[in-house]
Amino acid sequence: MKRCRNPNRIWILAYLAPLAILFVAFFLFPLVFNLYTSFMKWKGGGGMTFNGFANYLKLLRDDSFILAIRNNVIWALAQGLIQIPLATLVALILAREPRGWKALRTIYFLPNVISTVAIAMVWVAMYNPQYGPINAIWKLAGGEPRNWLGDPSTALPSIIAMTVIYIGYFMIIILASVMNIPKELYEAAEIDGASKVQQEFRITIPMTRGTILTCMTLAMAYGMRHFETTWLMTGGGPAYSTNTMGIALYLKMDALRYGEASAAGIILILLGTVVIVLLRRFFGRKDPMTEAAQ
Amino acid sequence: MKTNKSAAGIALDILRWTVLIVFLAIALLPLAWLILSSFKTNIELETSPFGLPAKLVVENYHNAIVTADLPRLFLNSVIVAAGAVLLNLLVASLAGFALSREDFKGRDVILTVVTAGVLIPIISFMVPYFMLITRTGLYDKLLSLVLVYAAINLPVSVSLITSFMKAIPKELEEAAIIDGCNFNQRFTKVIFPLARSGLATAGTFCFIYAWNEFIMAMLFTSSVSSRTIQLGIRYFTSQFITDYTGMFAAIVLSMVPSVLVYVFLHNKIISGLTAGAVKG
Repeated sequence: MKRCRNPNRIWILAYLAPLAILFVAFFLFPLVFNLYTSFMKWKGGGGMTFNGFANYLKLLRDDSFILAIRNNVIWALAQGLIQIPLATLVALILAREPRGWKALRTIYFLPNVISTVAIAMVWVAMYNPQYGPINAIWKLAGGEPRNWLGDPSTALPSIIAMTVIYIGYFMIIILASVMNIPKELYEAAEIDGASKVQQEFRITIPMTRGTILTCMTLAMAYGMRHFETTWLMTGGGPAYSTNTMGIALYLKMDALRYGEASAAGIILILLGTVVIVLLRRFFGRKDPMTEAAQ
Repeated sequence: MKTNKSAAGIALDILRWTVLIVFLAIALLPLAWLILSSFKTNIELETSPFGLPAKLVVENYHNAIVTADLPRLFLNSVIVAAGAVLLNLLVASLAGFALSREDFKGRDVILTVVTAGVLIPIISFMVPYFMLITRTGLYDKLLSLVLVYAAINLPVSVSLITSFMKAIPKELEEAAIIDGCNFNQRFTKVIFPLARSGLATAGTFCFIYAWNEFIMAMLFTSSVSSRTIQLGIRYFTSQFITDYTGMFAAIVLSMVPSVLVYVFLHNKIISGLTAGAVKG
């Protein structure tokens, strides 16, 4: 069936043109360019020569890059399995509308509007071995003072622990979904004698399963691309213990190894996509891709 | 309100409030500590990290503003953020109008592809973005950041604005057509004004992103004169070496604009975030 040609088609094209130009320049071109240059020996300015999978092989044989991949997987697991359950817990509590719940919701989200630079610098100070409050609290609890971010065994867990300040983001999304559940379901459960805790497990969690799983998929995808906070707090050190793929990419670029940097970018995109596709299969959702995109 | 609560009910209440207060502390105490420390001397900070300052050291703020040239950094960030928001909203509202109020082949495909842009890890584009910016002669110019920030926020803005414009009743537009409005006037006189609230939501997201962004600013600028506020506070310590409390004062000031925007527009952000969740 042929649709009538829209009489406004010239105007429609004109209205879409700016979006098309920017989207092609900043989304499609980079994707193609990244893929192309990942197969090239390229030091920036000069010419490129094809060298097959050499950039990829070099990265995958590099222990620091393998460590980066491992750390991003740890990040993904931490975001999905710590962040989301905590966000869900807080959302369930706020959904009962305790006193001041709206103000609490607003405050919990606050760290998300503060720059990563500011947050990272504050937390570097919090973990500071000389004057940091974390050590002061740790000493009160009877622990030996530590150099949290300077010790390879504590650096990664310290940064991961700090990111619970961001739970407000997913909490707000899950809370909206919980509050969308018809009140009658709870009234009926109340009459049937179900306790509050039973109601959460029998009504709330099943009814918001879709949203929670979408949030979990998104959180894990964010974990796979985690970069900025770590870059600002430790630069990937000490001894690559907090390295991530983004940091590796940046350092390759800084060393003018553009071909390898592009390959790191492609691996980053691929692994991120794999996480989304795998979770989609695992959770048996129809289409969290487009849902997540909203 | 129920008056007689069982013991289990009270225990559950205590548990609930414990959770809420712990997360409140996690969100606010580091910021409170930052603000408190920004009024201390460096010696006070090292000797008693929790103690109150003997007297408020307002000098820290003076140092931050004068020595770190904070006004210049602020001006650069305001230019970048305002430019990015304007460009982003202009492009997204034009496209949103065509995508929501007109019917044509490929419309849904365009919307899906653009919206899927949020799934791309932008940091993987550091090399192509750097090439794009240097080859077009935009390196070390604030315009590079305006373009990049506006473009990166297009997937979010286009999907928000399109769904907002879709919800405007057809009748309003039909009345305008009968009154003789052409394509452009339907946009400028009917849909654009009615979509203000959706534009404000998209604009808020874009502003906060642009004000806070660091990586691209680090990649695309080199001279001190084109530094944004985030680069400025990041490199504060390299100017002052050990003036931590002065640095804290600069960080506090850098947070003011995005926190203010959040205080006034947090309902826009919350509604923007939950637009997808309620549907799902």
